Amino acid sequence: MDRDSQKRIVEALVLGAPEPVTAQKIADVVPGLEVEDARALVAELGREYEEQGRAFEIWEVAGGYQLRTRPEYASYLRLLHRERPLRLSRAALETLAVVAYRQPVTRAEIEAVRGVEVDAVMRSLLERQLVRIAGHREVPGRPMLYATTKRFLEVFGLGRLDDLPTLREMEELLPPPGSDGGGPPPPLGAAAEPEEDDGGGEAPLELH
Amino acid sequence: MSFESSAPPADPRAADLRPEGVTAANACAIKLPVFEGPLDLLLHLIRLNEVDVTDLPIAEIAQQYGEYVSLMHELDLDVAGEYLLMAATLAWIKSRMLLPPSGDGEEAEGADPRAELVARLLEYQRYKEAAEQLGERTLEGRDVFAAQAPEAEPLPDDERPLAVSLVALLEAFRRVLAKSGGTGRHEVTGEPVHVRDRMLVVMDALGRFESIEFERIFELESDGPPTRRLLIATFLAVLELVRLAAVRVYQGLSDAGVPDGPIRLRRAEGPGADEWSAAVADIT
Repeated sequence: MDRDSQKRIVEALVLGAPEPVTAQKIADVVPGLEVEDARALVAELGREYEEQGRAFEIWEVAGGYQLRTRPEYASYLRLLHRERPLRLSRAALETLAVVAYRQPVTRAEIEAVRGVEVDAVMRSLLERQLVRIAGHREVPGRPMLYATTKRFLEVFGLGRLDDLPTLREMEELLPPPGSDGGGPPPPLGAAAEPEEDDGGGEAPLELH
Repeated sequence: MSFESSAPPADPRAADLRPEGVTAANACAIKLPVFEGPLDLLLHLIRLNEVDVTDLPIAEIAQQYGEYVSLMHELDLDVAGEYLLMAATLAWIKSRMLLPPSGDGEEAEGADPRAELVARLLEYQRYKEAAEQLGERTLEGRDVFAAQAPEAEPLPDDERPLAVSLVALLEAFRRVLAKSGGTGRHEVTGEPVHVRDRMLVVMDALGRFESIEFERIFELESDGPPTRRLLIATFLAVLELVRLAAVRVYQGLSDAGVPDGPIRLRRAEGPGADEWSAAVADIT
């Protein structure tokens, strides 16, 4: 089978799969295709869509590939969807953040961080399958433990949990010692090692 | 109303975060941001006063905090207990600050009564920022939409919600009990199993799978062979979920129209499925 036919099959798989499809699964399905080839073909398709100005693009979420509409068409799609568009309150986002960074975590721990009861918001997150029950903590009372779901990765466009940006360290939140705010920034050359920028697209430096 | 003058300056976020029920007519007079709890309110006051979180002017902050809370009362906003608890904490810290530093070295000299609160505030701030970042991401279902074929598992034609479910269900449950090797002997050991827990487990599993065979339900999240107690709690959980219309129980029909074959559970469509957990909270 020539490469172009393979590419079209890969395209069909990414389009028609009920959930994000992994490179491994693609390789399993397409005869004579290695995992590496699958990745390369997906990347090629992505570039094609971009060049042709298509209304969709390929995302890597929850360990797999998925075709998604481009953000600029969101307003039209929201009109089309019968279900109410996804809305996450601040309470929901804060609770999700604690679960995401601390999992597995008990309800009491979440409440300690947020300083409010989270009963109702946890129920709503469970219902929306952004959070799941991940067993019990083996302490008296056996409180339930919560963790994020694959659906969470999909909704937030994360390949895996490690793709979450690192939580800011406490020290960073404190004002620098001995300065009354707005001390000179460290000189550009001073950084011993460049910070690894896996966030992409953030364009940290722009000198004009 | 007179509280307007006593209210701290309006927060720029106020316009966006108006509490529900505040209509445009009275909104301009109120400008009270809605806070995610006492810690959020404190962070807001700290930002507003441009003070250093590690060196909180407690008396000032406590006073403004109190003003906000009474304002919320006046507005008939639901002031949760945690706001009042924090007010008490602030008052306690304030009183501790007024005490002269104890001379005898018994009490740790350096122990700042504010330290614990500061740590909580900083901890909360980290997650608040992380939450903001999450909210700014490109969300599927809001900003982008997946091309996603629905799971190809249509309901077979011969499966219908079981009209007279209880007999068949009880029969199936009896088989489960028998298979578990339960001799009917009294079990003394084992922790309590709550029906409410099992309801959550069942709903969680039905969130992950389209449908589940009745007998598999009893194997969920149990380490080792399930106890009789767990089996019964699980069965009661299923019945309760059916009653709440959160779950539907199906059994295939034979050609003769007689229920036949495995019984399956499926998440119900419709409002029942969304309200089940509200009911769960009331059952323990």
